[in-house]
Amino acid sequence: MDAVLQIEKLESGYGEVQVLWGISLQVQAGKMTTVIGANGAGKTTTLRTIMGSVPCWGGRVLMNGEDVTRLSPHAKARRGLVLVPEGRQLFPDMSVEENLEMGAYSQRARPRQKDNLERVYDTFPRLKERRKQRSSTLSGGEQQMLAMGRGLMQEPVVLMIDELSLGLAPVLAQQLFLTLKKLRKQGLTIVLVEQNVHLSLALSDYTYVLAEGRVEIEGDSREVANMDEVRRAYLGL
Amino acid sequence: MSGILASMIDGLLIGSVYGLAAMGLSLIWGVMDVINLTHGSVIALGMFGMYILFAAFPVNAYFLLLPILAAGLLLGLVIYWISVHWVIGRSQLSSLLSTFAVNMMIIGIGTAIWSTSPYNVNFTLRGFTVGDYTFTGNHIAAATAAVIIALALELFLYRTRPGKAIRAVADNREAAELMGISSTMVLALAFAIGIALAASSGALVSTLFPFTILSGAGYQMKSFVVTVLAGLGKPLGALAAGVLLGLLEGAVTPFIAVSWIPLIEFGLFVVVLVAFPKGIFTRATA
Repeated sequence: MDAVLQIEKLESGYGEVQVLWGISLQVQAGKMTTVIGANGAGKTTTLRTIMGSVPCWGGRVLMNGEDVTRLSPHAKARRGLVLVPEGRQLFPDMSVEENLEMGAYSQRARPRQKDNLERVYDTFPRLKERRKQRSSTLSGGEQQMLAMGRGLMQEPVVLMIDELSLGLAPVLAQQLFLTLKKLRKQGLTIVLVEQNVHLSLALSDYTYVLAEGRVEIEGDSREVANMDEVRRAYLGL
Repeated sequence: MSGILASMIDGLLIGSVYGLAAMGLSLIWGVMDVINLTHGSVIALGMFGMYILFAAFPVNAYFLLLPILAAGLLLGLVIYWISVHWVIGRSQLSSLLSTFAVNMMIIGIGTAIWSTSPYNVNFTLRGFTVGDYTFTGNHIAAATAAVIIALALELFLYRTRPGKAIRAVADNREAAELMGISSTMVLALAFAIGIALAASSGALVSTLFPFTILSGAGYQMKSFVVTVLAGLGKPLGALAAGVLLGLLEGAVTPFIAVSWIPLIEFGLFVVVLVAFPKGIFTRATA
């Protein structure tokens, strides 16, 4: 198996507080990898450290075998490491379409900007209806669609999504999960951090369970879903 | 009566130059959260830049704006690296102090070279006369140039890729990085453009009034008033607010001594600050 993204013993934190204590992950090409865990387990910090938004204290991030640990977030983004961040992080004063355009900012994504824009509008017709509107005027669900769409405009090699369904109505969350499923079928490599453990276990190929900044459990998602401790702790069964 | 009208038209024309000056301050402030205190001294450098260039090439002074804009961009990159790059992300006080330090350096060097005695650019465009009042060509040309530069900036920010990248970084620096935008490059670019705008406004002022190396301070103050009126990072807003300020000046000039004008302007400044307390340090995002 070839790992597109390989994380080795990642350590990081904020200020004096260490959050990650040596996390190792393997993200296989064309698969959906999901990272679950309680609040404060370090899921978001893991993604942000991989991206470089949070400085890495130790360990390595390899992309297709190349060490990219020390690259700045924009340099990683230009290589196709794409993060759809928690809380959407849109450009509030820019229109919906401008937000999507910024997704296609890098040299890699620019040539396919037009096709990708059409694809995003096909996937999320609501965004097309609102393309001239300032993104801050969108509803929460529409903003999440925009954040996803903007990520897709980046021509991701690896698409990392932080809290896809957070704060969304169940119907909307369902719709976004279906979109992910479709993308996964098209062969996109996805890393999903999710609160909705049930759905993410059902959709994904491989699962890591984080606890207190370490990988507690890992395995094929179907196996993980059947583990007693996971069923008790995360699925409420 | 026609005296007031003429004075107001004059104010309106000069006001667009105030607007241009304010755009430089407001762009840097809005994009990078840096209050650039080199603003005034750069305006003064623009004045002396025009003086030197016009002495060397006595063509139409307004064509010399182009090299001044270009030199302003370069100067902006230099000032960025000296005083801003290292304190980005720290408190506003750091950049306030570091740009103030560079401001003092520029004024010190300028005083050593040119002393603080007045200079002027000896260039006059023919104006036209209505009744017993003459509108000078320089005023009209300076206002036109200011409007053209403002429109160009607006087009740049809203229609071009680097311009949109500047707006993206202003909106959300971390998200811009995630898009593959190098925020450092964009900040340097925005700062350079802000400085070029300040220099060009100084160059325009130098064709209207005599000036010294200290003359920038007054325009820096007006830039603050205009920025507070207009909000951050909106070129056409700054232009409109500048014109408003100019009109106000023009309207009161016939009645009171010029030395009272700052009092009125800063009275306005305080009123706006009190009435719109959020208008100054936060961006108007919904």
